[in-house]
Amino acid sequence: MTAAAATDGSPRWQSQLRAALAGEGSAWLFVGKSVLAAYLAAWLAMWLQLEQPATTMITVGIVMHPHSGMVLAKSFYRALGTLAGSVFGLALMGLFPQERELFLLSLSLWVALCAGGSMLYRNFMSYGFVLAGYTAAIVTLPVINHPLGAFDSAVMRVSEVMLGIVVAGLVSDVVFPERLRTVLRQGARQQFAQFVEFVRGSMNGTIARGDMEQAHLRFVRSAVQLENLRASVIFEDPEVRARSRQMRYLNGRYMAASTSFQSLHHLINRLQRRSSEAAAALIALYRPVGAAMTPATGNVDEPTVLLPLLEEASAGVPAQAAALREALPLEARLDFDTGAALLQRFVDELHVFTQLEVELREGRVRTPVERVHFQRGNDLVGAAVTVLRTFLTMATLSAFWIGSSWPYGASAMLIATIFSGLFAAAPHPLQSAGNTLAGYVLGIAGAFVTTFWLLPGSDGFVMLIAASLPLLLLGPYLSTRASLPGVGAGYAIGFVYMLGLKNPMTYSPVRFLNDGLSQILGVGMSGVAFAFLPGVTGSAWQRLRQTRQLRAQVVLAARAPLPGLTWRFESISRDLFQQVVEHTQPGSADAHELLAWALSVHECGRALIELRSDLAAGHGSAALREAAPAAVQAVARLYQAPDVARWREADRAVQHALDACPSVEQASSLARLHLHQLRSALRDDESALAPYMPNTGEPSHAA
Amino acid sequence: MPHEIAIGDVLVPGLLPLFLGCLLVLWLIDAVFGRLGLYRYFWHPSLVRVALFFCVFGLAGLLLLR
Repeated sequence: MTAAAATDGSPRWQSQLRAALAGEGSAWLFVGKSVLAAYLAAWLAMWLQLEQPATTMITVGIVMHPHSGMVLAKSFYRALGTLAGSVFGLALMGLFPQERELFLLSLSLWVALCAGGSMLYRNFMSYGFVLAGYTAAIVTLPVINHPLGAFDSAVMRVSEVMLGIVVAGLVSDVVFPERLRTVLRQGARQQFAQFVEFVRGSMNGTIARGDMEQAHLRFVRSAVQLENLRASVIFEDPEVRARSRQMRYLNGRYMAASTSFQSLHHLINRLQRRSSEAAAALIALYRPVGAAMTPATGNVDEPTVLLPLLEEASAGVPAQAAALREALPLEARLDFDTGAALLQRFVDELHVFTQLEVELREGRVRTPVERVHFQRGNDLVGAAVTVLRTFLTMATLSAFWIGSSWPYGASAMLIATIFSGLFAAAPHPLQSAGNTLAGYVLGIAGAFVTTFWLLPGSDGFVMLIAASLPLLLLGPYLSTRASLPGVGAGYAIGFVYMLGLKNPMTYSPVRFLNDGLSQILGVGMSGVAFAFLPGVTGSAWQRLRQTRQLRAQVVLAARAPLPGLTWRFESISRDLFQQVVEHTQPGSADAHELLAWALSVHECGRALIELRSDLAAGHGSAALREAAPAAVQAVARLYQAPDVARWREADRAVQHALDACPSVEQASSLARLHLHQLRSALRDDESALAPYMPNTGEPSHAA
Repeated sequence: MPHEIAIGDVLVPGLLPLFLGCLLVLWLIDAVFGRLGLYRYFWHPSLVRVALFFCVFGLAGLLLLR
């Protein structure tokens, strides 16, 4: 009825209202859950007679997230971080009970190391590190003048934090939970559909380099995102946890298939540029595979529909390849064989990928699964800068505290600890520090109004809620606004911290103002530190080093031990690439260069790994087995520091290894084909290696 | 089991190790349920998990404080 009325146009305001409120529902649901969890935690903390119910409330505020999987993951790492931090705080107190200089120095170092550690981990593991630093400070600083109270303080803080974690986890998981699992499932389906769509779309065999680059961006993003999601969902859903290994394997297969696919198309593109007859033959060989991905009936993105077709196409490849090969002139056969081997590898990988997808959707996995770890590429220098910056912030505050014997120095240090860790991971630390500071000041103002005008008249827990709720609500609501990053978190932490709910409540305007001032100083200091030692995340310097690290993955492919190397290589190079892409302007020259390098690294690295496994399996003649390792090392050296001389050397070494192979007419061994692919990739004049090629080109380019 | 136990001269309520043990038990139950896909038959799986935990922990606690 309302729909009909709306189309009539009479109560237009209703549809307008609905449009304005779209999305508000989930925002307010989150606000409601946060507030419920916060007050429940506060009530329990008071009932259990914990010292500072405010700590419990802050914990709830920090842990809450719209998706329950996120909350549980965050809680898990927060619990670990809290335990580690409090144990370290106690140990520190035991070591230096009388020497504040040594104590503060060690504490600063610990906090700094934790902040650095948080840069080396993704997801909420990084958050656990921040917490380990923060808890050591929160346990020891308030009792620094009474070392004997440190143990009780540690027990209290840990109890308060754990209570907050349990309540937040329960509320978000039980009360109208928003499942991260659905996001994961959608992501996985989209990944599959996108990949299949792209494979289908390249039926005529050619893909423009620009399209290939865009597709690569999408593939990498979905691989990294799925891994991130999986790491959180395992806390939410036991079923996903039971299938965690299969999902990792699926993602590994996906990455491997996308690399093979790209390598194949780069090869075809190169052959076409040389107008070799092998290109047309390879496209003809590819056509049935493309056709298999386009079923006439049923849902085209459904893996159960695609699987039998793919099986059929895969079985048909060798016979068709033999037929096509016969028609080719002798000199094109090596090129064709190389492409056919790549195609066969790609089809096999796609087949396994599709089969796994089918089995995962059915919920029963029968395919044997390898252990795959999605490894990350980390930037040690970036972490070191964070350690240094955090240490300087903490040391400066300590020195100021000792020098001025300021009674509220501990409070400033505490807040600085929290925020140094949180800002370090932000892409624009100065801006987000500014936002958070603004939110924090607002929060303090809100807490002032609540504490001295609203709370004194209230009596009992219900009145406490009534008095503090209206201004508290602002915090979670602000944090659902994407346009104001950091303001909501700053407001919520500032408000709850300054409100400092206690049972019985203490009212002291002098303490409030002093405390507020010291905390603003603490937040400010941790932000100001970024002006002196700028954030590394997303800087041009980091981009440069990460690009170098990306190239170094070829060295990894050439030298690391072989077992599990494919997965290791595919995941690290993608993770690195994703990190750099996040901070590169799309479409800029930087982005272009980066993409070119990424594609080149994927192709050469994978070829090297395949070549090395061929050699390890004992393929190829004795002469080849002697010459190939030198070629592998030469290519690795080229990627380590590309220049013209090294390119020449690599090209010569690969050529030398190829010459060691038996002549064209004999059945080509896989090792030889991989060498040929490597040489063809090295001589690709559209790849990132093009600037390092000597202009006095090879005769093969002349045609 | 005693109501309070001393770990490194610190008195800890006996319920604490029991609580951790129950978490472990629940984790095992969870793993089995997840592998068999039993949670699909429940309307609100996380509520079931919480309720299961309450049952296990309540039973163990009653046995301890008996």
